[in-house]
Amino acid sequence: MIALEGVAARRAPLAMSGLTLSWSPGVHALLGGPEDGGALLLAIVGGRERPRAGRVRVLEGAPTDDHVRPRIGWVPLEPALPDALRVGEALTVAARVRGEPARDPAERLAALGIEALAPRRVRGLSPEERRAVALAEAVTSTSVRVLLLHEPRVGIDPRAEPRVADALRARARDGATVLVATASVREAGELADDMLVLRAGAVVGHAASIEALAGGARDAARLVVVCSDPRALLATLAREAEVEALARRDGSVVARGRDPVALAKAGARAILEAGVDVAEMRIEAPTLDEARAAAAFAATAAGGAP
Amino acid sequence: MGALARLPLARLVRTPRPLLVVAAWCAVAVAFALLARSGGAAHGADHALVGAYGALVLPLLAYAVVGATLDARSLAASGVPLVAFGAAPTRVAGVTLAVAAAATALLGALLACAVAVIAHGSSDPPLARDALVSAYAGALGGAAYASWFALGASFGRRGGGRAVLLVVDWVLGATGGAAALVTPRAHVQNLLGGVPPLGLSERASATGLVVIGAVCALWAVRRAASGRSSA
Repeated sequence: MIALEGVAARRAPLAMSGLTLSWSPGVHALLGGPEDGGALLLAIVGGRERPRAGRVRVLEGAPTDDHVRPRIGWVPLEPALPDALRVGEALTVAARVRGEPARDPAERLAALGIEALAPRRVRGLSPEERRAVALAEAVTSTSVRVLLLHEPRVGIDPRAEPRVADALRARARDGATVLVATASVREAGELADDMLVLRAGAVVGHAASIEALAGGARDAARLVVVCSDPRALLATLAREAEVEALARRDGSVVARGRDPVALAKAGARAILEAGVDVAEMRIEAPTLDEARAAAAFAATAAGGAP
Repeated sequence: MGALARLPLARLVRTPRPLLVVAAWCAVAVAFALLARSGGAAHGADHALVGAYGALVLPLLAYAVVGATLDARSLAASGVPLVAFGAAPTRVAGVTLAVAAAATALLGALLACAVAVIAHGSSDPPLARDALVSAYAGALGGAAYASWFALGASFGRRGGGRAVLLVVDWVLGATGGAAALVTPRAHVQNLLGGVPPLGLSERASATGLVVIGAVCALWAVRRAASGRSSA
């Protein structure tokens, strides 16, 4: 559905070259910060940025082809909406431009819980509401088959935020290809079926999940426990084989290991053994840098570049 | 096409500030026409049309209408919300420009007609004919000016070329020489009864306005479609 062949692009100071990638229907994450090229990749796939070299194919055509363009839904951090129209009118115009049958705009907005915005002027919306409206338009469009979303749950109306993941999965089940550019490993894990790890315009790894990503590094999984007696818990955790590193952080205990599930079990055993009262216990997703390190480690272990 | 026209139309009729500017320029034209009438000038309509209307009001009215239609952005940037929904940039720019041209032509025609009727003097041509010819000149001039300023709006990140072309029209159009032929001003003045540039006939000036309008429109749409000045 989306294929890049030997694509090179530049948006100073970022440069990409020789990217050959493809995505089929599903939700896919491009994991990396703004300086890593996720947003640039979305712009290239969406036809908003022209690659310097290589070929981009989307839905069997170029992204700028007249028959392809209306089937791409692109939601950048600051989406452009028709300011002078009301939200409902904007959705009606969008449907006509995309060649869809007319539908009740409030019904479409209800998919993200923002139907109350329908009679409002676009010009009067907050940036969070604008993002939610743009996302609702793209997600509920019947003709859109490729969704390109930059940080879909960041800076978005709080009514819409909890519904984004379900809406994206529903579109993926419907046969759409959803690309999500995000700097959050947790976000990538929660939203996407797989993730591509980017660093400074290069692909440093590919993983099916956070666990798979974390499994590539010795201590990428992290267990955080806030308890009544951190010193006692540290002592019992130190005896667990799955725990590779231990530390105290602001009154909590942080244990690191390779496998998050095994780490959680070890934590539970240690808590019972130490007899401490637990206020909070959570597995933290790896940071972006840890994810990159894990991806690079996995690639090296596999015997070459990803 | 209708869907693409909704945004520029809404900008034009729903934004209070440009509407006030347009109303102000219309008021200026009517005021000059009333002055000519109260002065009892034998060629009152000619004076009001060539002086205030053709030289001042019509260009500034077109400038304001184009600015409102584009939401004071460049031609390419003004269409970005519709391009984001999948519309072709060429079509968006073309429809936006058509809305601006139609609105300016309509306003220009109505205002020219009103000025001709209000300021009509004893030595002016018959009222009905004068009003009709004035409306025709106003419509043609308005449409040409809209294309002229739309081309200007395709230069600069915020369409600042619009102001440059306003000055160019003012300066070159007033020379009466060969350079004036490339500006709408010289031809509009000729159609409204002013001094013809290089002795051109009214028919030649009408053709000149059509050519200026068409060339500017095509050039502007082409620039907008190529994404220039879309920031």
